[in-house]
Amino acid sequence: MNKFSWYDAASIEEAQKEVNATVSQTIQPDSPENAAVFKASGIDLLDLMKEGLSGPAKVVGIRNIPGLDEISFDPEKGLRVGAMVTLSQISGDDRIKANYLALHQAASRAATPQIRNMATLGGNLAQRTHCWYFRSKELVCFRKGSSTCFAHVGENENHAIMSYGYCVSIHSSSLATALMAFDSIVEIKDKDGKIRLVPIKNFFVLPTVDRTRENILEPGELMTAVILPAPKRNTVSYYIKMGSRKSQDWPMAEVAVVAELSGNVCKSVNVALGAAAPVPLISKLANDSITGKTITEATAAEAGRAAMQIALPLSENGYKIPVFQTIIKRALLAVV
Amino acid sequence: MKTKRIKLPHGIPGYNLGEIEREVPSTEPPALAVNDKLKVIGKRIKRTDALAKVNGSAVFTADVHLPGMLYGRMLRSDIPHARIKSIDVSAAREYPGVFAVHIFDRRYEGANPKKNSSDSEFPDVIYAGQPIAGVAAVNPDVAQEAVSLIKVEYEPMDFVVTMDEARKPGAPLVYQTDVDQEASDGGEEIEEGLKSKGNVRGPSTKSFYGGPRGDLEKGFAEADVIVERTYRTQVQTHCPLETHGVVVDYNHGNVTIYASTQSTKNTRNEFARTFDLPKSRVRVISEFIGGGFGAKHTLGSFGVMAGYLSKKSGRPVKIMLDRKEDHISAGNRPNSLQIIKVGAKKDGTLTALKQLSYGTAGIGLGAGVGNIAQAMYACPNFKTEQYDVFTNTGPGAAFRAPGNVQGAFALEQLIDELAERLDMDPLKLRDKIDRSVIRKVEREHGTKILNWQKPKKPGSDPGPVKKGIGVAQAHWPRFVNLDSSVEVRVMRDGAVEVRSAVQDIGTGTKTTLAQVVAEELGLRAEDVTVLIGDTLFPIGPSSGGSVVTGSITPPARNAAYKIKTKLTDIAAEELNTDANNILLENGYFMLTDEPSKKISFKELAAKMRVEQITATASRSDDYGGFMLGTIGFEELGSVQFAEVSVDTETGFVKVDKVLAVHSCGRPINIAQIESQINGGVIMGIAYALYEDRVMDKNTGHQMNANLDQYKMPFSFEIPDIQIELIEEYGAISSTDATGIGEPANIATAAAVANAVYNAIGVRITEIPITPARILAALNKEKKVNNE
Amino acid sequence: MKNKKSKTEKTGNISRRGFLKGAGIAAAGTVIVGSGILISKPHSHEKDEKFVPGTISINMKVNGKIREMNIEPRTTLADALRSELHLTGTKVGCNRGACSACTVWIDGIPTLSCMTLAVEVGDREVTTIEGLAKDDRLHPVQEAFIEHDATQCGFCTPGMIMTAAHLLARNPSPTEDDVKKATSGNFCRCGTHPKVFAATLDAAHKA
Repeated sequence: MNKFSWYDAASIEEAQKEVNATVSQTIQPDSPENAAVFKASGIDLLDLMKEGLSGPAKVVGIRNIPGLDEISFDPEKGLRVGAMVTLSQISGDDRIKANYLALHQAASRAATPQIRNMATLGGNLAQRTHCWYFRSKELVCFRKGSSTCFAHVGENENHAIMSYGYCVSIHSSSLATALMAFDSIVEIKDKDGKIRLVPIKNFFVLPTVDRTRENILEPGELMTAVILPAPKRNTVSYYIKMGSRKSQDWPMAEVAVVAELSGNVCKSVNVALGAAAPVPLISKLANDSITGKTITEATAAEAGRAAMQIALPLSENGYKIPVFQTIIKRALLAVV
Repeated sequence: MKTKRIKLPHGIPGYNLGEIEREVPSTEPPALAVNDKLKVIGKRIKRTDALAKVNGSAVFTADVHLPGMLYGRMLRSDIPHARIKSIDVSAAREYPGVFAVHIFDRRYEGANPKKNSSDSEFPDVIYAGQPIAGVAAVNPDVAQEAVSLIKVEYEPMDFVVTMDEARKPGAPLVYQTDVDQEASDGGEEIEEGLKSKGNVRGPSTKSFYGGPRGDLEKGFAEADVIVERTYRTQVQTHCPLETHGVVVDYNHGNVTIYASTQSTKNTRNEFARTFDLPKSRVRVISEFIGGGFGAKHTLGSFGVMAGYLSKKSGRPVKIMLDRKEDHISAGNRPNSLQIIKVGAKKDGTLTALKQLSYGTAGIGLGAGVGNIAQAMYACPNFKTEQYDVFTNTGPGAAFRAPGNVQGAFALEQLIDELAERLDMDPLKLRDKIDRSVIRKVEREHGTKILNWQKPKKPGSDPGPVKKGIGVAQAHWPRFVNLDSSVEVRVMRDGAVEVRSAVQDIGTGTKTTLAQVVAEELGLRAEDVTVLIGDTLFPIGPSSGGSVVTGSITPPARNAAYKIKTKLTDIAAEELNTDANNILLENGYFMLTDEPSKKISFKELAAKMRVEQITATASRSDDYGGFMLGTIGFEELGSVQFAEVSVDTETGFVKVDKVLAVHSCGRPINIAQIESQINGGVIMGIAYALYEDRVMDKNTGHQMNANLDQYKMPFSFEIPDIQIELIEEYGAISSTDATGIGEPANIATAAAVANAVYNAIGVRITEIPITPARILAALNKEKKVNNE
Repeated sequence: MKNKKSKTEKTGNISRRGFLKGAGIAAAGTVIVGSGILISKPHSHEKDEKFVPGTISINMKVNGKIREMNIEPRTTLADALRSELHLTGTKVGCNRGACSACTVWIDGIPTLSCMTLAVEVGDREVTTIEGLAKDDRLHPVQEAFIEHDATQCGFCTPGMIMTAAHLLARNPSPTEDDVKKATSGNFCRCGTHPKVFAATLDAAHKA
């Protein structure tokens, strides 16, 4: 790891005063000389720094800022999860398990128990892609400022099956998939202390918009919480992650479903897909396919097929399509 | 040599146990009874070093800290193939905190080209990750910073990292000339003097067991059924949890090396040779080793670098590879492409077996896979042609049953397919063609335990998740390394000490030695202190090829027997009887005919004329001659059964259960043997389903040189493993014990593959068996849209 | 993570920030460490060193004792424990958080010491494998690991034990599935897993 100065912030304002760059900016060839970045748990930041991809001059710790690591729930108002809440806190929270099962499931399956004890919600959402070309120090890929996406013509078994431009990386946050299905809101505090509330689908940035970043956070802006709307009556959720292993693994495909039911009839639904594209996606095709129908093996399978209609697999990842079709079907069947 | 004839237990208890008379050197101890009659051998004895492992006090090489010690880091090439035009280390040398810089004048890994093809004063870079230079500094961070200041001017060359591309005419050449390479002690086979054509070297038609036999054409002409298949296996990296590393204290040529090695003697010998020192000036210490699996047999380029940096700086230098370096440069199991063809009569009798294989050990040699096909089954007509293919990737290394794991994956699926074609139960076919007595017994045990019936029709389960069962077999030679000596000492307070340079890489060698010596001296294992892993002690074998137990326990027993003889003489004097009338048991010397007349071991030791008596013994030849050179059916045999579930909608494969039926001669420590079998099975599952070194063909880099994307089994991937251990007496040495490391790992992947076939009805001929491969085999994968 | 504030109150006069000491260190909320610039009193390994990387001195509560150490901001907890305190029982297998060999407890929670900066530990209490035995009495999990032969090479063992012992602390009667969940991040190349499961379950009976 490079040398850096360390600053342990006691308040958001203190932290924001020092920070002048996003972690993503430090990865670019024109990385700012005196970059100062936030560090929450730092699982992703330290990983990037140890690989030699990121080398900020100053690191500002925000784990000890009070008030950011709380979970509050009100059946009328919904759920508010502070950005410094750990994944273990999320998976261990009974209110979340009872009312937002898919979020509980996503948090419980992410990474390893030890990482879940450390990693924060905010850090998980803001982590960079684990595309192995992006993560290799020796290779300067499209996302790191060159004109080459190595995965396009290389080893792309883990990569995107939905085409959103040249970069075929996938977003690495499992929690994001679940939060997308819940129509969550990201709470962001800007440098002037103003709070912005951003629908999570607008939080993530496609490489076609800006290849150097994966979310909208500007230097010094701090994600402070994620807010989930109050659970509607008769609404059930479910999350499935498919890896080649049941123990820690990056997903080859994942799905989160939030469905409002009337009996077995799906009144409305949000089918969110992870590991499919550079950002987590809502599959409108799947939503449209199943909405208004009784959820059965046949209609659920049809929704899975619908979701995959727009898939454009690469040379090595065509297998993801049947996997997605299956887990979409199974997640829908699991909610009834 | 004076000899005597002794009767030794021979055969399998409960099956054909009897006695056999052998002519043995007159210095050998009397025959050891079968395990049932012993007190310490064959029991579940706690590891003598377990406490140090559970309380954190065990000192591995990674933990060694010497006063004034520096840390070394190496500059590795970012590009896979290049000529080096210049290297500028001036900035690194000037960097504060740096004490020494060294540039390699040649490669210390891979094959040795006969002549240097380059005019450059530096060796050509032939894989991405090849070490070029190194720095020693006050801490690893400073060393790394200095490394980043080294400027290298490369002249890049075309490269090739996949075996298929490397085989093509006109492919970029890894070596310009013919090459050779010394095999390690890990059991990989390298035939000397073979020619290369392009990147393809060979064929080698030999294995441990000699060359081709019979007449293939005639054999296939006589066959009623012929089955031919192509199989592929992947590159697997060793990933010992403790990465490779050393601490070298050059100390003006009186060298001390702490090494995470499987071979203290080879580390010493290579260092002495490289630095032109007498072996007596190089001491290697390896008390705890965090796993090796075949990749830690040599000094390694990092060991050479640490040597130069220590010599130059006058300080001890530590180099521990990081995980990425370990993946890309410190060894791997070569991949394989095997085309294998078998002919058989209707009753199953094999008439011909032909194998053609290609494998890449990167810039190294040792990708042969032939010996299991050559040796496991009776077949009069056999030929193997094995080719090594060079690629611009890190050097291969011996890896737990080198060649056999790849070979078994192909052979044992082929035999299964043959059984199906002959409409035979796969176990019945093996009964017909397998002459091994031990494997016959093992198949019987397995059949009984699993209530084995002829497997159901493949793929016949209803529903998306289908279950299957499969079986596969293995053999491994009873290798012995004669560089195996042990010293046993008794002190006047009754303390017993065992010393050997042999190392314990986690297999339990320390405890095994304690048991053998304790058994001979009528003590408990915990009464014996075992000091090993230090070349100050009598030479010990490398921990590879499952040789250690069979090599080191006989000299341990023989040395203990010498001590016992000396002590018995004293006891006879003390008890006023003849030495022949003395029995040593439960810590007492006693009269055979009057056990109440006795003196304790401790009391007797106090009567020794000197403070310490000592005896050293070396490994003698196997009783009745070494087995190697005969054929595999008398060797270590094992049979493994696997039960799997395959989700045909997602391609997810889960191994539910493995029944591992094994033999390793006379078992010394049941618990440790079970542990090694568990490890072999788990590694075999990993090989079958998960592990795969992913090389990017366009850039020449490994994409998953880590532990999250290089897929390893963790807790949920571990099946229920049931172990059935068959005692087997071969009357081959004074302990009659053999190792279990390699046999445990050979059959698993093939058993899993056969079980997957039984589950889904389609054969997967390439590992790892990923969801993608399952779905492709079931024609569910969506093909790429051609743009 | 627990709420820092209440924790600090509980531990009384030792506050998190009170644990940071040494040259150039001011009160809370100040830039405290520079790349060898802000530090006036360098720590030296050897007298003849040409240069010393910037370090700071901190106190850390490790295995019940307050220990002083000299670190850089980039020093991981694993490196600090191993290099500064010579507590080498904590192992580094991948240095990227993927193998869990480096697992220690921070305030009783299994944490990756390779992915934690030493400077961040503050007043939280670190427990390593060396601190698990109490008054020379092994923890039941340690005893069970010996009894069940749950070690092979032993390099993953400290991390496995810290993980398994924490499981028993919060769940005295786990199922095998619970043990698998708890240890699902701990890599072992030798294949000790079946015996790790058995040992942990057995320790639960005896604990």
